[in-house]
Amino acid sequence: MKPLDENTAEVTSVAGARWRYGRRGYALAASFAQLGGRKLASATTLMALGITLALPALLLFTMDSLDTLASRSLEGESLTLYLNTELPAGDSARLRSEVAASPGIRETRYISPSEALETFRKQADVDAALIALGKNPLPGAIVVYPDTDQLEDAAIRALATALGALPGVERVQADLRWVRRLQAAVALAQLVAILLAGFLLLTALLVIANTIRLELSRRRNELEVSRLLGASSGFLARPVIYAGAVYGFLGGLIGNVLALLALQLLRGPADDLARLYGSGFLLSLPSLERLGLILLVSTLLGLLAALLTLYGPSRQKVGGGP
Amino acid sequence: MIEFDAVGLAYERGRPALDDVSFSLAGGSFTFLTGHSGAGKSSLLRLVARLERPTHGAIRVGGIDYAGLRPRQESALRRQMGIVFQDNRLLDDRSVFDNVALPLIIGGWRFSDICTRVQAALDKVGLGNRGDARPEVLSGGEQQRVGIARAVVARPKLLLADEPTGNLDPDISADILELLMQFNASGVTVLFATHDTALLDAYDFPRLTLSRGSIQSRP
Repeated sequence: MKPLDENTAEVTSVAGARWRYGRRGYALAASFAQLGGRKLASATTLMALGITLALPALLLFTMDSLDTLASRSLEGESLTLYLNTELPAGDSARLRSEVAASPGIRETRYISPSEALETFRKQADVDAALIALGKNPLPGAIVVYPDTDQLEDAAIRALATALGALPGVERVQADLRWVRRLQAAVALAQLVAILLAGFLLLTALLVIANTIRLELSRRRNELEVSRLLGASSGFLARPVIYAGAVYGFLGGLIGNVLALLALQLLRGPADDLARLYGSGFLLSLPSLERLGLILLVSTLLGLLAALLTLYGPSRQKVGGGP
Repeated sequence: MIEFDAVGLAYERGRPALDDVSFSLAGGSFTFLTGHSGAGKSSLLRLVARLERPTHGAIRVGGIDYAGLRPRQESALRRQMGIVFQDNRLLDDRSVFDNVALPLIIGGWRFSDICTRVQAALDKVGLGNRGDARPEVLSGGEQQRVGIARAVVARPKLLLADEPTGNLDPDISADILELLMQFNASGVTVLFATHDTALLDAYDFPRLTLSRGSIQSRP
């Protein structure tokens, strides 16, 4: 802290100085002094914290995008009922109405043989083969979108079996499997990410706790003197708790920046890959809420580390004493 | 002001630092606490400041019985005392002003009062114009004056001085003692631990003498 001017009236006009000589201001100034006192060591610690927190942040942001992809895919999952090629158009329409009225069906769409042929032609150069056949070999189809909010996997499979047994239906193709696989893969990846994030957060906690422990050892004289002058345990603990929160907050800030940079680097290649698979997957940037969440978690982590250092099983007594 | 009744203090693995010590000092008195090194002077002062707990016996300071004091009450008690150390224990990373202001910040004083009191305390010890200096640039005597200013800034009723002249030249030691006498004249009880025979011979204050943890003579 800087000394104050001798002129009291002049000094009292300085709001910053007034604040620094209050108990809370003193504690906050002391916690920032810890950071500023040993700049290189503090910068190294904060960078280590930032990197440690960047990985869980990056995992969280990536998982958000994967989650969206899985949800979107689920909305599009469907059963395709291929109809008998001899089925008259009128019967096909009746069959569609019958299917649409069944329970657990969200939506149906009829694809006539001519529509199917047109689509087929657009996707493959098969004109010569079709001319040789002399007629349209493709069947009509009813695409059924089950209500996936209400139906579980087993129910959808039972529905497919039931629809396959309807007269006029030749074959049922379930387009669910890859979606389910994707969802399972995403769920597994999420679990791995949560575990990894947990380990990394624990590492961050230990880094902060160790930094605070070292800082307490370095400031032993100041703490002892303060105690001799009548400082309560709360007064002695406050700068430590603030320091934990400051370390956590700044570490989270650096972590967010690093995660955003990494995400920005990954976005291009990820989009290219998704495009190659015809997927609409987009590695999106995190929302402000997500960035705020990382800051909140890291700050709470810092607070927890400080409290563990002060009151945990291997607590460090501040200021000595009986 | 200070009453010890059959007080003993033993640290782990060692002979007792104090053994059945009983004495009583009146409020507003100035008392030398004397004895050779290791006699128990610092231990006695630490007991008064409630930095140690007696193994047995009763201590009362300012009418407050130390038995059963809670940590919060102990802190409040220490805020009513001033302590001067042999090595002054100033914080080198802050200014003289901030060192002296520390007890007032701890006590939650208002900012305007802090400014007024710190300046008054520095004026009193003759360092009114050194508030912005770092302790390391001051002489030993000046540093000890800062330590005294810090001890008296909150206007304590009791001043404990633990060999405050131990590292100082005789002239400066006399200055420091004169300074503490001025505070005593304003009603502050002073317990001054020293084994400086020159000081003891020069000033005729009541003595509490310790030898091997026991009282040898009392006022």
